[in-house]
Amino acid sequence: MKRLITSFIIVFLFVTSCQKEKITIGTGVSESFYVENSGASMRVLVEGNTASTVFIVFVHGGPGAGAYFYNTDYIKSNLGDKYACVFWDERNAGASQGGSNGKNLSLAQMTDDLKKVIQVVRYRYGQSSNIFLLGHSFGGLLTSSFMTTDDYQLMVQGWIFADGCQNYPLNDSLTRQMLLTNGQQQIALNKNRAKWEEIVSYCNLHTSDFSFDESMQLEEYAEAAETYFDEVTKIDYINLFEKDAIKDDWPLTSILVNYLYSSAAEINKDIANTEFSSSLFKVEVPVLILFGQYDFVCPKGLGDDLYNKISSTDKKIVISPISGHNIMLQDEVLFCKEIDEFVRLHNVVPI
Amino acid sequence: MKTGTILRTTLAGLIIFILIMPCFSQGDSLTTRNDISSDLRIAYNSSLIYPGIRAGIEFPVYFVSLRKNINSENIKSILKGRFISVNAGWYHHPDFHDNLYLTAEWTMRRAKGKGFFTEFSSGLGYSRTFLGATTYQVDNLGDVKIIKSAGYNYALIIAGGCLGYDFSNKKEIPLSVFYKFDLMGMFPYNNTFYFRPVMELGIIYKPVSFIRLSTRTRNITK
Repeated sequence: MKRLITSFIIVFLFVTSCQKEKITIGTGVSESFYVENSGASMRVLVEGNTASTVFIVFVHGGPGAGAYFYNTDYIKSNLGDKYACVFWDERNAGASQGGSNGKNLSLAQMTDDLKKVIQVVRYRYGQSSNIFLLGHSFGGLLTSSFMTTDDYQLMVQGWIFADGCQNYPLNDSLTRQMLLTNGQQQIALNKNRAKWEEIVSYCNLHTSDFSFDESMQLEEYAEAAETYFDEVTKIDYINLFEKDAIKDDWPLTSILVNYLYSSAAEINKDIANTEFSSSLFKVEVPVLILFGQYDFVCPKGLGDDLYNKISSTDKKIVISPISGHNIMLQDEVLFCKEIDEFVRLHNVVPI
Repeated sequence: MKTGTILRTTLAGLIIFILIMPCFSQGDSLTTRNDISSDLRIAYNSSLIYPGIRAGIEFPVYFVSLRKNINSENIKSILKGRFISVNAGWYHHPDFHDNLYLTAEWTMRRAKGKGFFTEFSSGLGYSRTFLGATTYQVDNLGDVKIIKSAGYNYALIIAGGCLGYDFSNKKEIPLSVFYKFDLMGMFPYNNTFYFRPVMELGIIYKPVSFIRLSTRTRNITK
């Protein structure tokens, strides 16, 4: 019995030793931690140059997509060499873990989660750390919620909005219009005629006041639409997966079940009618807006809306001519270059 | 047909089936009871590439020994064993979690005379995960604290199949080697069901006397 207890204590000490706090200030850093909040323990991976005191917090899409696909070799080499990139798995996404926590999956809760992630980054790496928020796709909605809540925007030096959405009803209208316009042009050019005819026919039948199912259908067509253009960089997901999944210890089944759960969760219906266009006037921090010319999922019209509604005087909008909905993968050169310039300009501590 | 009628018909059919099954057996059948030692089981436990270990005890429940005379020189023998096993497992997935889990499983094993055996098992258990890095909590005042031994409790189900070779049959070495593939599920994981494939490569040690249990053995000769 004594041996059994001793063995158990040894195993227990071994497994808990993995939770020993490790904080590195330097270059080439790669370390993770978890932030527990309202029933979810969310994984945060910090990669790159923590000595820079600049932390770019990636807020991923979905809900439920996870942060793993953002951590590419190119971003590591071209942003991570100068700044620290913070890849946060939102609740019920990626490697984030928890128990029976479905009732907490809401935009308000995730906004609070984001605030706490930033507080922990500051706790670990210093209260004077410069935080830049980067919201992609659904992360655009989440960062819009964050930036317009109380005085949260004072926690960040700048806001990067990449192929994001701050207004879901407007998003549906813009997606429909973009599908219709491009579809008619492509039919006239006799390119992918059958596919575009189906899309145009759907758009002609469904014109406004979109239901949730219509919204989902438009998104499905939008995801497919960018692949019909030769100009758009194709994403090699299999290559990304092969390169990083084993090397970076991806918890594959967790990523999968979290994605399946979140993409079908009630939050999707709640956010379908959510908009922050009417409260964007509160935003005063510098803003960089990045969009893909061929982004049908979140059309660049959303970028124009954001640009026109924020009160920031320091703002810039950049359109990639070769990108669809994932500018960080499809035009990584432009993506890293623009972010680097933006951060250099607005970082309060000179590098 | 009403539900009650369906149930009655099914039940009657099952009882008849169970009662007439022995009639098809044309051989001699002898049931005995013996004190049989429990087995010890230990394995390298991995989910694809992440290491771990698993150990347990197999308690014998009953055996069926089937011997069939093919001709005067060749006898085909099959031993079917049923066990209840209690196991403790652990695996380490860097940055994600460590998982300590206990299971109780029902094991059905079928061994051939030459020593090769196959096995199917399924069971229930309890899992305690330990998150793979420091875990912080922030209160409403913005104060940050570290949570000790952060992780979650889950209910667990497990099922899998196994291939192995028993050295005790031919060489009288009280050991078996086996390869087992399990699918493990934990819930409620983020309000859903987490699953994980697990592979084991291990040995079963059969001590002469270790927790001996009175076990029914049915010998059938055809």
